[in-house]
Amino acid sequence: MSTLQQRQQARQLRHRLLLSAPAMAMLGVFLLVPLGIMLLVSVLQGGDYGGVKWGEYSFEAYVSFFYERDLDDSLVFNTDYLQIFQRSLWLSVLTTAGCLLIGFPTALYLALQDEKRRNLLLFLVTVPFWTNLLVRVYAWILLLRNGGLVDSGLGLFGFDGSLGILYSDAAVIVGLLYSFLPFMVLPIYTSLEKLDWRLVEAAFDLGANRRKALQRVIVPLAMPGIVAGTLLVFIPSLGNYIIPELLGGGKSLMIGNLIQLQFGTAHNWPLGAALAFVLLALVLLAMLSYNLRFRQPAMEGHA
Amino acid sequence: MNRRNPLWRFTGVRPTAWLFFAFLYVPIVVLVALSFNGGQSATLWNGFSLKWYAAVANDPEIVRAAKNSLIVASLATLIATILATLAALGMHGRTFRGQTLMGGVLGLPLLIPEIVTAVATLMFFSFIGLKLSLFTILIAHVVFCIPFAYLPIRARLQGMDPRLAEAAADLYASPWRAFWRVDFPLLLPGILSGAMLAFIISMDDFVITYFVAGAGATTLPVYIFSAIRMGISPKINAISSIILLISILFVALSYYVGQRRR
Amino acid sequence: MEFGEPGQGMKALDDVSLEIRANEFFTLLGPSGCGKTTLLRLIAGFEQPTSGVIRLYGEAMQDLPPFRRPVNTVFQSYALFPHMTVAQNIAFGLEMRGLGRAEIDRTVSAMLELVKLPDVGRRRADQLSGGQQQRIALARALANRPKVLLLDESLSALDLKLRKEMQIELKRLQADTGITFIFVTHDQEEALTMSDRIAVMSKGRILQIGTPSAIYEAPVNRTVADFIGETNFLTGEGTPEGLRLADGQCLALNEPASGPLTLAVRPERIRLSDQGNLEGRLEDIVYLGTDTIYLLEVAGQSGFRVRRQNDEGAGNGLHPGARVRIQVPAAALRVLAE
Repeated sequence: MSTLQQRQQARQLRHRLLLSAPAMAMLGVFLLVPLGIMLLVSVLQGGDYGGVKWGEYSFEAYVSFFYERDLDDSLVFNTDYLQIFQRSLWLSVLTTAGCLLIGFPTALYLALQDEKRRNLLLFLVTVPFWTNLLVRVYAWILLLRNGGLVDSGLGLFGFDGSLGILYSDAAVIVGLLYSFLPFMVLPIYTSLEKLDWRLVEAAFDLGANRRKALQRVIVPLAMPGIVAGTLLVFIPSLGNYIIPELLGGGKSLMIGNLIQLQFGTAHNWPLGAALAFVLLALVLLAMLSYNLRFRQPAMEGHA
Repeated sequence: MNRRNPLWRFTGVRPTAWLFFAFLYVPIVVLVALSFNGGQSATLWNGFSLKWYAAVANDPEIVRAAKNSLIVASLATLIATILATLAALGMHGRTFRGQTLMGGVLGLPLLIPEIVTAVATLMFFSFIGLKLSLFTILIAHVVFCIPFAYLPIRARLQGMDPRLAEAAADLYASPWRAFWRVDFPLLLPGILSGAMLAFIISMDDFVITYFVAGAGATTLPVYIFSAIRMGISPKINAISSIILLISILFVALSYYVGQRRR
Repeated sequence: MEFGEPGQGMKALDDVSLEIRANEFFTLLGPSGCGKTTLLRLIAGFEQPTSGVIRLYGEAMQDLPPFRRPVNTVFQSYALFPHMTVAQNIAFGLEMRGLGRAEIDRTVSAMLELVKLPDVGRRRADQLSGGQQQRIALARALANRPKVLLLDESLSALDLKLRKEMQIELKRLQADTGITFIFVTHDQEEALTMSDRIAVMSKGRILQIGTPSAIYEAPVNRTVADFIGETNFLTGEGTPEGLRLADGQCLALNEPASGPLTLAVRPERIRLSDQGNLEGRLEDIVYLGTDTIYLLEVAGQSGFRVRRQNDEGAGNGLHPGARVRIQVPAAALRVLAE
């Protein structure tokens, strides 16, 4: 390679870095630095009325995760926070399972429609994605509240009284399902659309009935979509704030609410930062294992 | 494959799909229907009326919040789209070392749970002593709008002939003119869809805004959230319906245009 | 087997009826879009006829889904499962039938032997070459010992040499297994080499069913004659003396006929001879190694072909432009319908 060429390439690279610089600077200063500060805050001493005492280090936040300080300053094992983590994980797992249960058949149904109908249905799946989540969750309050429409509807079938479902784990799951179902349907549909249906014909031909063909051919071949959907549902469920706040009514807390509390009434920034950091670590871990397993070339690898 | 052949009718698939669509749309329909309720109750039907829409239009607090939302979303979209377009152009072409990392950073806001971004940004503003205001909201919005604007533009660039950009760069006399004449028009659909995404995402954001909004800097979602916490009301139904219908109209229109273009 | 027609609006098949014998190598031959693949998919069960019956050994099958039919298919694209090994692919059908592990393993290795690829069982299907995939697809279908094996353009993706090899291989497998093969192809040479009987199809209809020699020697109409091999057509007026061509030459026929006539004659049945019964002008000579093709203008029609084997070496002193006589034996002439 001639030096002229090399110089030209070096110049081109410089230009390209220059073009990317403003966005990178924006994200660096207002996202990466804040995340660093969050990590720092999590090991600081909390201020008496919110905020932190800069420069005074303490692992109190991480300790208080598991232990509570008794009156005589001894540490007592405390499962309150762990329970909320556990509940968050559990509700997210249930949500993901529910999304899979409804989402896979829906995606399969879409994939088996002829093109015109499929486009319309696909559009209907994506509409909620473009509409305000808060507002749609609010609609569920109208439906689920005592004497709300679900209760009245059940009344029509002779079921008197109320379900009392709002402000419970069940309401939170309904809300999470409702919000994240499209995130499950779309990636699975994408996998199924790419699927070579002649393989399924081959399975039928070799004696597989529909269930077996599904089990042995369709599901394995749609696995990348299933895993992507699972991730796209599980991660935002785990850290969700609005849905447990509005439908859980402060009774059915999840990690997101716990974090918010530390910045609100609890005035415990270090704990809030520590919780946020642990949540972030969980999410990144999940993403990392997905990347390692399912997409060797990372997002920008094949430019 | 013949999709009409009953061979392809998997048991339970059709009912589940219809359940899915009902689940997705019944709440929206109910909400919009109840917004026309004439009574004082948010859920008990008491005749058709538009009075709650009038109430929304005459509520100075809602109007101010809507204005704030529009200001923030417009500015955030403008800034994020410009930054994203430049970044997409910079990331396009022969791979260089560190590009994967840069791509990862550009997509990072999509990955990080909103609540984490929210509290981290809040602590950052507190650390540098920046008073919370509409301005802090704008900064936070630009950050999370960047990947939404970036991805469609990048996808568009990847679909374009790579030699095009090189050819444009080789037109030594005036690369700028080459860019505006050749690349930009081809890139425009990507930029527009990126901008549209960014705008909607910014308009809809609640969690991050809620944390970095100062007193008096209320956006529409933050207003609705506080209103819901005070108790449901037909007025919330009305403002919620307006927001829903505007976005649905918006997407339906773009879908219709997209279908016709085929 | 008998078939009725499916189709709605545009008919893929129209009133098709045919009977295939047990242990037969039967070929559906026709240009693309003639309905042969649709017919195959009907037999496999991927398509449903709008009316009519499909019978296998007397049992009606048209309402059974493919997984209940004792029929297996070798797909044009092979359709090997990419997420399974070769052995798992072959075992698939056996597992679906609920056979025991030991028996499955035994059959899988027997099948791999049969298609002469005993060592690839553990490889993934997409790591094989096209020819190997073809053999595995065959093994996977044959493993179930179907009553009928359907082969959909199964050789068309292979290169010429491999295709020739597989033609012989398929014939051997059919003889070894005693399974009825229904083979779909658009390649007439392939059809002639392998088949016991051929059905020539066009536009959703079956034009002629017969042995390769019957189809070749006695095509029923112009389409069949044109599709199978090279054919010269002679048109003229039937007279008591024979066929009178446009330029007044007359060709004797074995059976007298009258009215406007079309006759077919294969190029290799014609000889160049000074005592020949027709005269023409030599347009071109095409040397093919084993054979030479002489292109003639006869009775105003250009492109009349005479094929001679080069059994005495190349060249016989003829040059384009020369007037030549050819001998067309009456026995080689075939009067066509239409």
